[in-house]
Amino acid sequence: MTGAKRIDREAGRAYWFMSLPAFVIYIVVMAFPIGLSIVLSLSDYSGGKMFGGEAWHIVGFDHYLRAIQDPWFWNALKNNFYIVLISVFGQLPLGFIFAYIIYRRIVKWPGFWQGILYVPNIISIIVVGLLWQSIFSPSGPIAQVVNDLSTNRFHQQLVAIIGSQGHLNLSDSAIQAVLKLGGPDAPNMFANPIPDLRGMIQAYPSNQYGVLITDLTNLLLQKWTPTFLNKPNIAMLPVLFVILWMYTGMYLILFLANMQKIDTQVIESARIDGANEGQVMRHIILPALSGTMVNSAILAISGSLSSFALIFALTGGGPSRITEILSIYMYNSAFLGQHDFPLANAIALITVIISMLLIVVTKVFESRYGGKED
Amino acid sequence: MSERLETTALGRLGAGFAKALAYAVMVIFAIMTIYPLFWLAMNSFKSTREFQVNMLGLPHVWVFDNFKMAWDFGEFGKLFPNSIIYTAGATLGVIALSVLAGFAFAKIPSRATKWLYGSFIVGILLTLNSLMIPLFIEVNVLGIYNTRFAVLLVYIGAGLPIGIYLATEYIKAIPTALVESARIDGAGYFRIFWRIILPMSVPVATTLAILNITGTWNEFALINILVSKTELKSLPLGIYKFSGSLSTDYGKQFAALTIGMAPMLLFYVAFRKQITKGVSAGAVKG
Repeated sequence: MTGAKRIDREAGRAYWFMSLPAFVIYIVVMAFPIGLSIVLSLSDYSGGKMFGGEAWHIVGFDHYLRAIQDPWFWNALKNNFYIVLISVFGQLPLGFIFAYIIYRRIVKWPGFWQGILYVPNIISIIVVGLLWQSIFSPSGPIAQVVNDLSTNRFHQQLVAIIGSQGHLNLSDSAIQAVLKLGGPDAPNMFANPIPDLRGMIQAYPSNQYGVLITDLTNLLLQKWTPTFLNKPNIAMLPVLFVILWMYTGMYLILFLANMQKIDTQVIESARIDGANEGQVMRHIILPALSGTMVNSAILAISGSLSSFALIFALTGGGPSRITEILSIYMYNSAFLGQHDFPLANAIALITVIISMLLIVVTKVFESRYGGKED
Repeated sequence: MSERLETTALGRLGAGFAKALAYAVMVIFAIMTIYPLFWLAMNSFKSTREFQVNMLGLPHVWVFDNFKMAWDFGEFGKLFPNSIIYTAGATLGVIALSVLAGFAFAKIPSRATKWLYGSFIVGILLTLNSLMIPLFIEVNVLGIYNTRFAVLLVYIGAGLPIGIYLATEYIKAIPTALVESARIDGAGYFRIFWRIILPMSVPVATTLAILNITGTWNEFALINILVSKTELKSLPLGIYKFSGSLSTDYGKQFAALTIGMAPMLLFYVAFRKQITKGVSAGAVKG
């Protein structure tokens, strides 16, 4: 009996020695911050010494109310939902299609495609954000290509209207057509549009035709600046594109890894028995992957709601807060301007709760409609 | 009807079309994935002036100064060692603590397991990004703001839930008979851990290493609120410095971004198989 007791004690000591360090760190880094977050969200603490400084009090749910009464909160929440949607209905299906193509050996070199499509996942989010920021920027390559094309077209149209070197057509209708090329605002540049513009063109010596065309283009062509990062209704599109670009490969990897667990003999014999690809997909692959899909959807939801760095680097929530998401809204409340820690914590907890709710909904959905897999 | 579709001429045509479509899809998306990165690397060799007139072509004049300027301005000489310390420290910490606790949870019977292990499982669902504000306040109250200790502590904490889950499930699959016969031979749990469990846990430790190396090296949101001194910053924080005011100095900015992506790309090229395996094993939620 004493021997058994000694063994029990040794087991107990070993158990706690092995598990306690991890548990203490877990408490310090996760459990305690949650508790702190709850307390702070109900308080009026606004920076400074937490203990021994200015006294702070519990004030109740005021900050939650402030959050849900702030239109920017709903804007951020809406953007988070866009991200959830593009993740669940963009990344997942695309990743699945890629995985299927590779898994069924419809294309050669499976490792090659898989290797390429996963690359964005491995790169620092900050690098990805800043890279795409410069691609989309008004002085970036997209704007340049578009402007080069439109400049060329403008040149050709100008030449077609006013004719080639030495034979300028400066009739009223031609000048009128040039003005029309410049868009609705062009006539406003002149006091008397037609004579003024004609005078301007005539002022160029005949050997300066190239300069004339270039100057006219610069004067009249509306330079295109990428408005997609500035327009409120579409500013999120580039952000969503980058998110799709970055993470689709991740789901390709997940789906492919789980497809490869399917017994190939089952598929082979189904094919021999006359099943076509569609039937293989419907009756073998999809059922085998339903668990993976639910897990991927949960990953996508929780990743979407906690994402921070990509938008922080890509748009910083701008222009004028349009692309803000909840984590950026939280960060700015806490660290920009006055330290509104209670509001920031209320937002954090709302985010956590929404994330948990969506995960539960996904789980319930799975147990009701899925559940063919093991 | 038992005839296979491909054996008919129409079926062959359809299969051929499907194949062509599949190749088209893969090629288009592969180019869309890789070209921006190639574009970035290529432009890091152009002067800012050349970039403004030649955004899409190869550099006419290859400028290597960009890298030196970016390296100096970003103080990467300080940041690289920091990134290595954080990544190595957090990875080793997570592996050691996860395998230890995993062994305890999986093989040493205790009534506490339900609660301890359960709390780590709940932690998988939480993402530390949501807790950055209370973490910031906590490290300030504890007086460990701007310390490597705080960064390592938070990174280890962030890696533990999934680490412990994977380690526990892995060690559960090791036959208990191995542990029991060692016990009968008089071996203590520490000895069993050291001699039996640890050597057998190399695969799960590899998975954890992959997950934590890629995660920690690229991490930004948390370290951003944990340190402000350059001496303590990691690579992603240094790269972020190149946004904003420097975003018009393209040569330098692109060089900085290229420096930032190179180490992970090399790591990926060297360990692609292990990385994809590790990531798919670690992608567990709920």
